[in-house]
Amino acid sequence: MAVDRRGFLKFVAGVSAGVMVTPIPWKLLDDASIWTQNWPWIPSNVDGATSYVSTVSKLCPSCVGMKVRLVGDRPVRILPDENHPLSKGGISPLAVAEAQMLYSPARVKRPLKRAADGAYVAISWEEADALLAEKLGAAKGSIACVSGDETGSINEVLSSLAVQAGSGNFYLMPTEAQPAAKALAAMGGKGQLGYDIENSDYVLAIGANVLETWGPVISTRAAYKAARPHGEDPAVQFVFAGPVQNSTAAGADQWVPIKAGTEGVFALGIAHLLIKAGATADAADFSAFKSLAEAYTPAKVAEITGTNADQLKAVAAALLKARTPLVVCGSDFGQGTGAGTVMAGIAVNMLLGGLNRKGGLKLLPVAEPVVSSAMSRAEMMDKDFVSYMSRINAGKEKAPKAMVFYEANPAYALPQATKMSEVLGQVSFKVTFTTFLDETAMLCDLVLPVPMGLERLDDVATPYGYGQALYCLARPVAPMPASVKPAGDYIVALAGKLGCSLGVSSWEEVLQAKAKAMDADWDSLMDGNVFTSDATVSANLSFAADLLAKSVNVKAQEGNFAVAPVFKLGIGTAKTAIPPYNNKLIRRWELQGNELYVAMNGATARKLGVMMHDKIVISNKSGSINARVNIFEGIMNDTITVLMGLGHTAFDQFSKGKGENVMQLLTVGFEAGTGLSVWNMAGVTISKA
Amino acid sequence: MQAKEFKVKWGMAIDIDKCTGCGACMVACQAENNLSPIEDASNKIKVMNWLVVYELSNKKPFPEHDVAYLPRPCQQCGTPPCVSVCPVIATDKNEEGGIVSQIYPRCIGCRYCMAACPYHARYFNWLDPVWPEGMEKALTPDVSVRPRGVVEKCSFCHHRFMMAKDKAIVEGRDPEALADGEYVTSCTEACPNGAIVFGDLNNPDHQVYELARSKYASRLLERLHADTQVYYISRREWVRRQLDNYLDNEKVKG
Ligand code: SF4
Repeated sequence: MAVDRRGFLKFVAGVSAGVMVTPIPWKLLDDASIWTQNWPWIPSNVDGATSYVSTVSKLCPSCVGMKVRLVGDRPVRILPDENHPLSKGGISPLAVAEAQMLYSPARVKRPLKRAADGAYVAISWEEADALLAEKLGAAKGSIACVSGDETGSINEVLSSLAVQAGSGNFYLMPTEAQPAAKALAAMGGKGQLGYDIENSDYVLAIGANVLETWGPVISTRAAYKAARPHGEDPAVQFVFAGPVQNSTAAGADQWVPIKAGTEGVFALGIAHLLIKAGATADAADFSAFKSLAEAYTPAKVAEITGTNADQLKAVAAALLKARTPLVVCGSDFGQGTGAGTVMAGIAVNMLLGGLNRKGGLKLLPVAEPVVSSAMSRAEMMDKDFVSYMSRINAGKEKAPKAMVFYEANPAYALPQATKMSEVLGQVSFKVTFTTFLDETAMLCDLVLPVPMGLERLDDVATPYGYGQALYCLARPVAPMPASVKPAGDYIVALAGKLGCSLGVSSWEEVLQAKAKAMDADWDSLMDGNVFTSDATVSANLSFAADLLAKSVNVKAQEGNFAVAPVFKLGIGTAKTAIPPYNNKLIRRWELQGNELYVAMNGATARKLGVMMHDKIVISNKSGSINARVNIFEGIMNDTITVLMGLGHTAFDQFSKGKGENVMQLLTVGFEAGTGLSVWNMAGVTISKA
Repeated sequence: MQAKEFKVKWGMAIDIDKCTGCGACMVACQAENNLSPIEDASNKIKVMNWLVVYELSNKKPFPEHDVAYLPRPCQQCGTPPCVSVCPVIATDKNEEGGIVSQIYPRCIGCRYCMAACPYHARYFNWLDPVWPEGMEKALTPDVSVRPRGVVEKCSFCHHRFMMAKDKAIVEGRDPEALADGEYVTSCTEACPNGAIVFGDLNNPDHQVYELARSKYASRLLERLHADTQVYYISRREWVRRQLDNYLDNEKVKG
């Protein structure tokens, strides 16, 4: 058959039209994309029956309550728990990743021993037991214990061990709880400070980062949520005073910029104005306090804190107008603050009639220890780890022969971190009970893996700051890895082997006794219920005016610029580093690759002659870090903000080597009057790199 | 283009004044929808996020500066620009609820939709999703893992919608009349500040119904007429001004 030109063109047109109309090419394209997506190395979902278990996070410092979704026996999601007072339908950005962290690459899976060449070798538990018994036996009388768990009864076991087999040296890692306890004790109070934010109608947070890191932050944020219906005028005012427009400032109705370390002065400025307006308090030394506050005139406070007098006056007036005002003093990065700051805050609450009143500052009862020879909560709070380390460094105290760490990472998290690691080097035997291979584990002779909170039975007793006495249990919801041992029972047995008599024979017995001491019902706790109590301890506080006068004084800082560390829960803690699911929370100009960005405002940048992205070196006598410049106007003049939680030298690919550790720049000083170690002011010099 | 109308229209009212930028919603989203972690998350081009919390600034120098945070899920447009450009109909908006779908096995990775989306809500899998060894055990069974080479986006946790509907059907209720709160997204549920309210924009019994009508409510780039299903609320005028490209002399709502 001959094909003419026209016929050929018709045929071509027909084919083209046919191709357009037939589904075949599209079907093939679709199939091809399906086939090319069936890649065997991509994990597929495994189904199973869903169930939920309520528990509390031992990983997140906010002690958030949570509901764990299990599929079969695998935890897959951490969800908020409506019924938990420390959750109230919210979850922290850290705890929400906890199920995934069970499989963190940084998890220690078996006991490790440091060999002579410095490398770690996996050993059996029997070998670890023998080594530990030998070394701790030899160090008896000179063992110190350090715990990174502020709320657990494990501290009773560890402190009993330190008292009976050591030299009484048991320490908690520094948080805001210690200065608060010191402040309360100095003012003649008993129990633990609780802030009834839920029932307050005006919350003034001076330094305390109440919507991000301070205290039981998720319960605070539940109160914040309840008081602020969408688009309506808020029923409760939140005001934040601090050097940086941080998360709390972002959520607050008002940000009052004040220099880091001047929180106490700001509070005294408020006290001055309240007294002027007629406020008084029923305390023996009120007149002494009055004359102290007299000196803190708005002009003087403005000069020291860098705030303006009008803003100070407006805040004082608003406090006077509020029905249930509450003042929370603390540190905007969760540590390093002095007792004086907290004392000044308590004093303002006293002037506002806020002691043990609804929506005020409460003194909560603390249960007596249940383990024989264990330190009481007050005794534990009195121990100052940073000052102990400084004494060893200065040769004023002998280094212990052995140190036992429990979920503590001092080699990363203490101020002047490198120096602190050097001090740890003076301790001849170090053992850590840890979930992750952290910086401290890398210094230890023996690393013992413990289960995560989701895999063990543990407890939480009234987290610092929460407005009620509280007790609840973390229950094991996930199976433990094979060669990991729960620390509770292990340390109880270890103490026994070292000849300590704890008066209890198992970890569960400790918890049961603790529940009883708190007046809580064990069976109900084991069902996931939370015990709370409205009881308070009667308060007859003094202002401790003399001490306050000394401790609140602001020292001159080194250099021309101040460093304000920024702590964000979502980016992890020293104990967790940056969880694999959380590094996406780091903002673009906080970290690029492994390079740290620090922020300053435009005026500061101009003063330094630097621009966005320029390289700088920030240094002081403690250390130095390299960074690039980011410009953010929510920072006071002459202040540099540095994100905390970076610069890890251990952990995994999600944390290691990223940025720099701001703790290197925080220099330890000692508070006048109380002697407490403080590092809430870091002066630095800055040069272009 | 006329927006498709549905009897049920899922939407959000996000109060920017209540968001403190903590990121709980972002992490909850990743865990719920099986997004994989990435070693270098500072490489924002390669990072996969269905929900991003942006930082807003009033651009004034200290001390007049103000900051705000804006969580951005897929805006679930009524007239989705991404749908009309997809050559293989891997994305569509035709189901009850008005959620813009994304069918991964159908996606050929051409990324037209990414170019079309005015909200940067779509992400391309440049890399294989990789979990550290064992972490795949924490994957939920509800959302399949997407391979390299396809585009993905927020689905308003569509699987939760299906589960809520199934539950209603089993209980003999109307699946198109779910009670307020019966179906919410993972980010809504996680936010400790309650910044995100989720519900049926067409149902007066749902909180979002009123909120979307608030004088402070507006939508992102509203004047593009994408007719999005995510409303933002702020009492601060400067924030509302930044939700669209307003000229200095133009008035904004509220
Ligand atoms: S969880 Fe809530 S407060 Fe936190 S970033 Fe998301 S929307 Fe904002």
